[in-house]
Amino acid sequence: MSNNLHQSGVKLLRLLGRNAELVMDAYLSGSVDEQALEPSTVTKLTESGILWRPEPNESLRLSRNVRAMLEDGLKDERNRQINANVGSALATIKTVAGHYREARASVDYSAAEAYLADLSEQVYSFTESLRYSIRVLWGRINNEFGYVGSLNAKIRENELAQSQVSELLNGLEMFEFAELSELAGDVRELRKLLVTGLQETLTNCAQELSVVQGRLLELLGRFRQIQGRTRLLKGWLLYTDLHPDYEVADHVAHKQIPQLFNQAEALLAPAAVDVHNAQHETELMQLVAGIRSISREQQQTPLSAPTPVEVSAAEEFDIPDNPLKQAVEAYFCAVIESGQNQSALDYLSTQALPWDRESWLFQVIGGFEGLSDEHKQFFAIEPLGVSHDIYTGNFIIQDVEVGLR
Amino acid sequence: MSEMIATGELIERLLRGEFICRTTFEDGWRALKSPATLDKVESYLNQINRTVAQAAEGEVFFAGYVNLGDNERKVISQQFREICHSLIPLVEWLVLVQEASGQDAPLSQGAPVRLTELQTRIEDTPAFREQLAKLSQYRLFGSSASTVDGQIKLVFKRLVELGYLIKPNPEKQIFIATGKLDYLYEVIRFIDETESLSLEAQAETASQRELI
Repeated sequence: MSNNLHQSGVKLLRLLGRNAELVMDAYLSGSVDEQALEPSTVTKLTESGILWRPEPNESLRLSRNVRAMLEDGLKDERNRQINANVGSALATIKTVAGHYREARASVDYSAAEAYLADLSEQVYSFTESLRYSIRVLWGRINNEFGYVGSLNAKIRENELAQSQVSELLNGLEMFEFAELSELAGDVRELRKLLVTGLQETLTNCAQELSVVQGRLLELLGRFRQIQGRTRLLKGWLLYTDLHPDYEVADHVAHKQIPQLFNQAEALLAPAAVDVHNAQHETELMQLVAGIRSISREQQQTPLSAPTPVEVSAAEEFDIPDNPLKQAVEAYFCAVIESGQNQSALDYLSTQALPWDRESWLFQVIGGFEGLSDEHKQFFAIEPLGVSHDIYTGNFIIQDVEVGLR
Repeated sequence: MSEMIATGELIERLLRGEFICRTTFEDGWRALKSPATLDKVESYLNQINRTVAQAAEGEVFFAGYVNLGDNERKVISQQFREICHSLIPLVEWLVLVQEASGQDAPLSQGAPVRLTELQTRIEDTPAFREQLAKLSQYRLFGSSASTVDGQIKLVFKRLVELGYLIKPNPEKQIFIATGKLDYLYEVIRFIDETESLSLEAQAETASQRELI
């Protein structure tokens, strides 16, 4: 039996899945366009209870259960169905509980187990639907009935929600826990299900519902206030149109002036300087001259105590010459002395100088460029190197040669 | 320190005759909501025969008189006359804005108005154009412009000057309604109740007649 149920359930869900587009179209537009469908699909969907035809000549619609499932799953705010039928749920729960007790009493454990499962299902689905209803109500409150446009519609929606809340609260009142606890007797499972669990949920729900009711009333008040303002304005125009001679009575002539009209004269008039007025020029100049910048922070820092300034001869000091620079000078002197061209790197290696080859070259070139024009003209410098084999125009200097002109 | 600056500015603005609300000066408005600061401001103002008055269920604060001598009475009745004269133009403007922007609620504190959008809607509808032309000629606005653009810009400029609107960003044509509008509703409601005009009921029957 349960295997059968499982299979047909899976089949139904598959059917829904296969026709997902169609179902969603029907959900959004309200009905199905039969012309566009194959008759066999229509028959299948109708037979499985997904679509139904409310009246012979009406178009096909989604069945209530599928719709409810989608509304719940999609958190669709247009959904305002609330199952306030607490009475029938209560009756079912009581009945099944009766079955269970009887089965237990006659020691029919398998039947008792089945009834208990059924009972749990009933209780849980009841509490779930209650919680769901509250969730739906909160959703509508939180977006302030944003799914309808006009203020009047919002007010009507609010009234509908209020009636649903009071119905739910009335329904909850029907639960008498003394009766349930008597029904549960001393059976542990029943007590847990009917007394402990249910009672807790129902108390929570009732509390939450009263909060919901308060918020709804508050919202209604606000809607009415807005509506009242609109009417006030319209009414005012209407009244002054109808009574062109109407003058507001002198409400401030009484001894007691209403607080609303007790408005003091402005003491400080807004003012601004007119910098373009030539006549004010001298005054403005005087004002500007009188402006002193006051900086409190500066005042706070104490001035340092005066110290006598001593004037004495500066100590002698000398700046040690850079040895690299001196080496370059020695190199130039060597060129002068030998009177022959000398490669800088050769000099570096023959003199066994400690400098890095590259910095040596840079220093030689720099030393040459740093010479005064007068001295420079005695020397000639020739870079030795190769052009880059790929990038033309790049000349890589590998050595320089210094000679006398 | 910052609290002191706020109180200083707050007193200054009250003495300038401004309406302090959440939109125009939120820090000051909050400060007045706290009894300690309110006391401080009140005792300061009391020295110059002023008091902190409030309206619209504490949404707006303004400076009023403590003792009413002849001079004060003169000022009050002058101001009362001014507000009575501005009622019709302001109400017509409120209704125009509400209808042109297709909203359920009339402007109230904190509601934004996008001038360019409103202008397009008014330009596209002859009835709105007429209403605007009519209301812009009231002495309160005093426009002699013949184009919608000129009329509406002047009306909005005047409303900012009168403190009913603020323009938070000078670059953008977006205005925000201030608490002074809420004050205006309260004035109308006061007149309605004390003179038993039953404005709301009249509007209700009128709208029902329209439906039929």
